[in-house]
Amino acid sequence: MVGKQIFIILFISILLGSITNFVSPNKIPFIGEYRELSSGDGPVIPPSASEGDPPFIAIDVAEMEFSLKNTVFIDARDYEEFICATIPGSINIPFEYLPEENVAEFVDSSLSYMSKETPIIIFCSGEECDLSLHMARNMQDFGYTNLSIFFGGSREWENFELEMERGEGCVE
Amino acid sequence: MRRIIDNDFITLIFRVVVGAIFIYASYYKIIEPAVFAKGIWFYHMVPGNLINLLAVFLPWIELVCGVALIIGWQYRGTVILVNLMMIMFMIALGSAVYRGISIDCGCFQAAQASDSSAMNSLLWDVGIITMSIQLCLSKSKKWMLDK
Repeated sequence: MVGKQIFIILFISILLGSITNFVSPNKIPFIGEYRELSSGDGPVIPPSASEGDPPFIAIDVAEMEFSLKNTVFIDARDYEEFICATIPGSINIPFEYLPEENVAEFVDSSLSYMSKETPIIIFCSGEECDLSLHMARNMQDFGYTNLSIFFGGSREWENFELEMERGEGCVE
Repeated sequence: MRRIIDNDFITLIFRVVVGAIFIYASYYKIIEPAVFAKGIWFYHMVPGNLINLLAVFLPWIELVCGVALIIGWQYRGTVILVNLMMIMFMIALGSAVYRGISIDCGCFQAAQASDSSAMNSLLWDVGIITMSIQLCLSKSKKWMLDK
């Protein structure tokens, strides 16, 4: 009796959950592909970081966000570096080549005018590169509210043997 | 004591309160499954390939249980499921407190790294499970769809 009732409740819930996740614009893969990654002491934080900067995240958090496919990754390096190896699906906004005028407009259009609340992770190559930090500070000024900085960058991503996207036309 | 536990009004009030909390708690999780999956991930207690399954189905179990509790449908099974979920939530929160993980509850919004203590949420859970245990023990059958 009780077992049958529990089965009915679970059956209805699983049915509704499945249907909703098929039709919802916010659907997620039924099976996650999270990996157990340890970043040792947590996120890499540069000495130049200051209070008010967006949060710095470690490799495990970056990979988790990547698996959820709910976050936009921005590669702040030059196009030549971006095309050779980047986190799959990343958008390239080279910080050093931002136009001198209408920077906010340029960034907004590069992101297809997506919502300013969209979760965004900014990275560059690694600890020696602070383009991600500068890009994040600028984007904060432009009104983006859900930013994180993955300061370990593409090198840490590659060191953990995570998938990299390599474009044609890479000149090493 | 038995008369208090079996009291029709107390049982009805606890059904409505616990049911409403479960319905409310399910809302954001259904709307934003990715955010809820992130919340589960932060606890580091669930194997990676089960996180999304839990994020998709658990909120619906909460919602269906909440509604079933209030209208008194499939009642015994619902009450047992509610108690099992409460025990599961308390183990998760207790574990976070024990391991010193700075995380907020994730009960009604996304769990994330936070300075606020999971201890407060744990205390709330004690209150809710007290009500759901009463529902488990009560023999009241009044104002229910189940006969």
